[in-house]
Amino acid sequence: MKKKTNKEFRLHLLICAGTGCVANRSYEIKEELVKEITRRGLNTEVRVAITGCNGYCERGPILVVQPDGVFYQKVRKEDVPCIVEEHILKGKPVESLMYRPSPDAPPISRMMDIDFFKHQTSVVFRNRSRLDPEDIEDYLRFDGYKALKKALVEMNSGQIIAEIKLSGLRGRGGAGFPTGLKWELCRKSPGNIKYIVCNGDEGDPGAFMDRSVLEADPHAVIEGMIIGARAIGAHKGFIYVRKEYPLAVKRVKIALVQAEEYGFVGENILGTGCDFSVDVVQGSGAFVCGEETALLTSIEGRVGRPRPRPPYPIEKGLWGRPTNINNVETWANVPQIISKGAEWFSGIGTKRSKGTKIFSLVGKINNTGLVEVPMGITVREIVDEIGGGIPGGKEFKAVQTGGPSGGCIPKSLLDLPIDYESLVKAGSMMGSGGMIVMDEDTCMVDIARYFLDFTLHESCGKCPSCRLGTKQMVEILDRITEGEGKEGDIEFLEDIGKNVKLASLCGLGQTAANPVLTTIKYFRDEYLAHIKEKRCPALVCKSLISYVIDPELCGGCTVCAKNCPSDAITGEPKEIYTIDQKKCTKCGICLTVCPPKFKAVKKVSPPVK
Amino acid sequence: MIKLEIDKKEIMAKKGETVLEVAQRHGIYIPTLCYQKDLVPYGGCRLCIVEVKGWSIPVASCTLPVEDGMVVKTDTPRLKKLRRFSLQLILSEHPHACLICDKEEECAKYQECIEKSAVTFGCKFCARNGDCELQELVEKLGIKEIPFEFSYRNLEIEKFDPFFERDYNLCILCGRCVRMCQEVRGAGILDFQHRGPETLVGTAYNLSHLEIGCQFCGACVDVCPTGALRDRYSKWLGLPERYVKTTCALCNIGCSIKINVRANTVVSSTPDNNQICVRGRFGIAPLVHHPKRIISPMLRKGERLVEVEWEEAFDFVCTKLNEYRAKTGILFSPQLTIEAINSVYGLADHLQCEKLATTSALETNLKPLDLKGFRGDLVFVIVNTDMISDFSPLLLKLRSQQKIKPAFIVIDAVDSKLTQIVDLWLRPELGKEVDVLKLLFAQKKMKNTTAVSTQDIKLGKDLLKKKNIYLLYNPYNIKNITVPKYVKKIPLTAKINALKIIDMGVDSSTMDLLQDKNIDCLYLLGTAPKLNRKYKTIIVQDCFPPQVRFDLFLPTATFAEVNGSVVNIEGKIKRIRKAIEPLGKSKSDDWIIAQISKRLNHNTKNRKPKKRKTIISAIAKNRKVGEKYPIHLIVRENSYSFRGHRLSDLMKGFERLRGDGYVRVNKRTAKKLRVKDGAEIKIIGRTLNLVMPARITEDVPENSVLVYYHPSMGAVNSQPVRVECVH
Repeated sequence: MKKKTNKEFRLHLLICAGTGCVANRSYEIKEELVKEITRRGLNTEVRVAITGCNGYCERGPILVVQPDGVFYQKVRKEDVPCIVEEHILKGKPVESLMYRPSPDAPPISRMMDIDFFKHQTSVVFRNRSRLDPEDIEDYLRFDGYKALKKALVEMNSGQIIAEIKLSGLRGRGGAGFPTGLKWELCRKSPGNIKYIVCNGDEGDPGAFMDRSVLEADPHAVIEGMIIGARAIGAHKGFIYVRKEYPLAVKRVKIALVQAEEYGFVGENILGTGCDFSVDVVQGSGAFVCGEETALLTSIEGRVGRPRPRPPYPIEKGLWGRPTNINNVETWANVPQIISKGAEWFSGIGTKRSKGTKIFSLVGKINNTGLVEVPMGITVREIVDEIGGGIPGGKEFKAVQTGGPSGGCIPKSLLDLPIDYESLVKAGSMMGSGGMIVMDEDTCMVDIARYFLDFTLHESCGKCPSCRLGTKQMVEILDRITEGEGKEGDIEFLEDIGKNVKLASLCGLGQTAANPVLTTIKYFRDEYLAHIKEKRCPALVCKSLISYVIDPELCGGCTVCAKNCPSDAITGEPKEIYTIDQKKCTKCGICLTVCPPKFKAVKKVSPPVK
Repeated sequence: MIKLEIDKKEIMAKKGETVLEVAQRHGIYIPTLCYQKDLVPYGGCRLCIVEVKGWSIPVASCTLPVEDGMVVKTDTPRLKKLRRFSLQLILSEHPHACLICDKEEECAKYQECIEKSAVTFGCKFCARNGDCELQELVEKLGIKEIPFEFSYRNLEIEKFDPFFERDYNLCILCGRCVRMCQEVRGAGILDFQHRGPETLVGTAYNLSHLEIGCQFCGACVDVCPTGALRDRYSKWLGLPERYVKTTCALCNIGCSIKINVRANTVVSSTPDNNQICVRGRFGIAPLVHHPKRIISPMLRKGERLVEVEWEEAFDFVCTKLNEYRAKTGILFSPQLTIEAINSVYGLADHLQCEKLATTSALETNLKPLDLKGFRGDLVFVIVNTDMISDFSPLLLKLRSQQKIKPAFIVIDAVDSKLTQIVDLWLRPELGKEVDVLKLLFAQKKMKNTTAVSTQDIKLGKDLLKKKNIYLLYNPYNIKNITVPKYVKKIPLTAKINALKIIDMGVDSSTMDLLQDKNIDCLYLLGTAPKLNRKYKTIIVQDCFPPQVRFDLFLPTATFAEVNGSVVNIEGKIKRIRKAIEPLGKSKSDDWIIAQISKRLNHNTKNRKPKKRKTIISAIAKNRKVGEKYPIHLIVRENSYSFRGHRLSDLMKGFERLRGDGYVRVNKRTAKKLRVKDGAEIKIIGRTLNLVMPARITEDVPENSVLVYYHPSMGAVNSQPVRVECVH
């Protein structure tokens, strides 16, 4: 039987198969849908397919019905018969599964009407919620590999590089080096054998955009790499993905096999005489392997430790050959720049930062997920409009950008336009695009300690400033959060931090101190409160808080005493209960179990003696 | 040429040089710690950072290539601060109590001997105190305090391996040992483990160095800037006062070494800007000061051995030599100086003795090895020779000094450390090594009976294609080699002075000498063979007690105690310099022989010794194993010996590393014969009867046992034998 082309289907049921939704059993939903559709004899008019990540992971599993663009969220297996019955047969979309901004607000049926998506600009994510990442035909249907044809047939390498330079595309991996310039330098670098590398070693806690791009649109990355290879004169490429991303690895491998079948990868691509092949290399989950020289040593099969630059990889990279290394998101941008032109791309963004950037919006925010926004958007727009504000009506405190290498942006800088330069000016960095939102319940000293501890343990251990400097800082921060802070600690931290930045070999060490330095810069009072008053204003640091029962509010319901694991709460029923601070382990169970009608258990700082 | 500016000085440099190299050449001091000449720059310690105009952050000069117009500053306040910061951090995990102690002066005055404590908490407790690069840097950078919390790793000190100990509590992770082991030695025993603050240097799976196959060359110990790695023997002998440049005479390579001396004691021996092996690095000091050394003449009086003065000893020698003259058999070790060998020949001439022999394995076509003569794309075929154990400095030169990386093929039935690192290892059936060579060089198809797969032979042939082929072999271990003319044969004899002895000639082989019935008096210079019959007089001139019953013992000095020269495998005359005065009453060989000659009225001066006809011992028949003798005995030359004494009998470290006193038995064969590890076994051949303890191994092929030759075994060569357990 001839395979039906997509246009012949009346409806497309596109179930999200990003890691988040897969973990929420989206494949089971897909099977159920197929079963139900077949049972009802609808399989000739309705197509069920998977797509890559939609970005709105918090609302998964997500089902999008095309061509109407109806967006169903938090779909369960049990909802399938209802969807088929109501929406597909009767043509009445199921309102109960639609997104509502608040419980009593009317449902929003179309995806692009939802606030989370409305304010986004999809460039890299242009294919989200419409493309099956495991089917190259789908990619071709949406103009896939057109840019490749254009680049290979109509353009020479100089023209490709000129186009990329003109577009103003900058590296999306962190430092923001102009991509076109890097390509040009690599092209000019002497040597016959050159390599290109796709950096997919995404290690920042809370960042997952590279994974998502590889899972959702692997062909865009591969197409970008082939164009890059053509521009630079490379015939071999490597995609370095961490082993913790099995789905991304699987999809990239499928995509490579398909691309080779279609003649986009391999020898004599599209009959132009270009040869290019790609290998997938899996990293073992070392944060430092995201650093380009460490990544290259890891590809070479050695321990991933950075080496000093110069020589830069564009001069001496893999096995001593010129190597051009770009991040996943950078490569994914390339095909569109080529097909739509540099002018279109540079029309998006600010004067020095062009195009869009994907952020993974996580932490204390209503709409968790991946957002693609034009450069120059303000932090406020992302947090309030796309992110939907802070849950529980809490106060916004800060946002950490750039992961553990970045820094905190406080409330006072909410209107900061997000681009490479202004973030660095604020003490943070673009990084790969992690964005962790923090509310008033977050202790900034604790968060700085957390990030620094992460960097310390991910340090490769090569240079003393990073291996030992951060260790000293973590020890001081440990002391401060335990109430043992001393006068002069803040200044000492600043001093060590600045030295670590200057004395370290690679980007990891040079940015490790950022979380500490920015939190000191913007939240010095909190540090002082910890050190001088032995008080944690956010009521987080265990050593600096106590749980107490407010006698005015206590209803004597006995719930807290029954649940206390250390028998620290005593009292008689209907009487007022008290917590024995000597026995209390500060587990917080009493606070959780105290009935909302009493709200008698409170955290206080400084601790009760 | 590149012009750059360092500290406002205009400096010319070559392309490819680093800023550090250029600065050092011009006398500009930049502190370094992880930097080590000959190793690939690492950029890890962050002490050599400099400021470059146009760069926002300082950059390590050891890895920074010079560029035209570069403006470099090496000594700004910011750099000083950052260097001190890095060094202080390094010291925050290196026991530094003594460095910042204010009682330093009093301590130096009153507490001389606190050092030998088990745990190193500070410099005073450290064997490297005074010879430590960290101490130097602390002095130079003027560090008086460490503002950071000290953290002690609290690791166990690794004392379980021979020759050197490792206290990784002192390690500063500069990576020199790791890079030395990997880059220069190509051994890869050491590497970094873990990451972040848990980073450590160690072996795979934390196995001991012995288990993991370390050669114990000691190169890691010599590059360690701290006391983390230290030579066990010299640890507490104090810092050397003098360094004497001399030559290691323990094998035919004759490496240049430095003998480090303190108060007429050899503390240690170290390489002299080169690579040496375990013998030269760890074997010399304990050999010189070995407790078993005999350092005064001993004369047998009745049944008792009596210590005598030299005069009495000489009287005895002269009487006997005068008495027996031409009926004297002289057997000498090649491990003497050229001067001593000359005087031996002179004495033989004077005595008209025609019975002069040496214990060296000889080969008539021995020529000086020309290390610079290798050209083009090379392949080395190594037959029956463990180049790593026996000739590692030579192997390193062969590997590193070529423009194109040479290929190595090993043909050997016995496994060794070498087989792990070469391009191809062909493991034939025992005795079929020559057949493998024939197959490799055969033009036509040949029948393959060697047990090497035809596929491997093809791989070998591919490796040999269009290359200059050199065949390396120890003539002691393999005989009857025939190869096409375009293959250059390079015999590698293990004992020094082989070229000298070939040049001078000998009258007979050791075996023939010992079978000669006309000899009444035996004069043994540094060798103690198995004697088949009684002699009227036996004179031994040696450092250690011999295993034969002697009448007179003349104590000689080792090569660390004499002046002279040796000739090595390359035909180079290498100086032997006196590092310390001969111990006790011992004297140099040439002095002893000169004294004897003088008393025999033989004028040694200006007389060239007569050349003798070289006689190579007859080649033993290649017999096949049969019912009566079902096991192959493999005999290999022992290059771990000094004047006929096994190093493994003299030093515990060598005993553990080599165990040359053991017979190696194949694991399956041992099971079949019910031989237990360490148990004594009898090896019985047609003319052979040996009793040795067994060591069970998989290195030797099935149905075979291997021994390293020792003079006490008598005439022994590879042959079929029977193995029996001794109960």
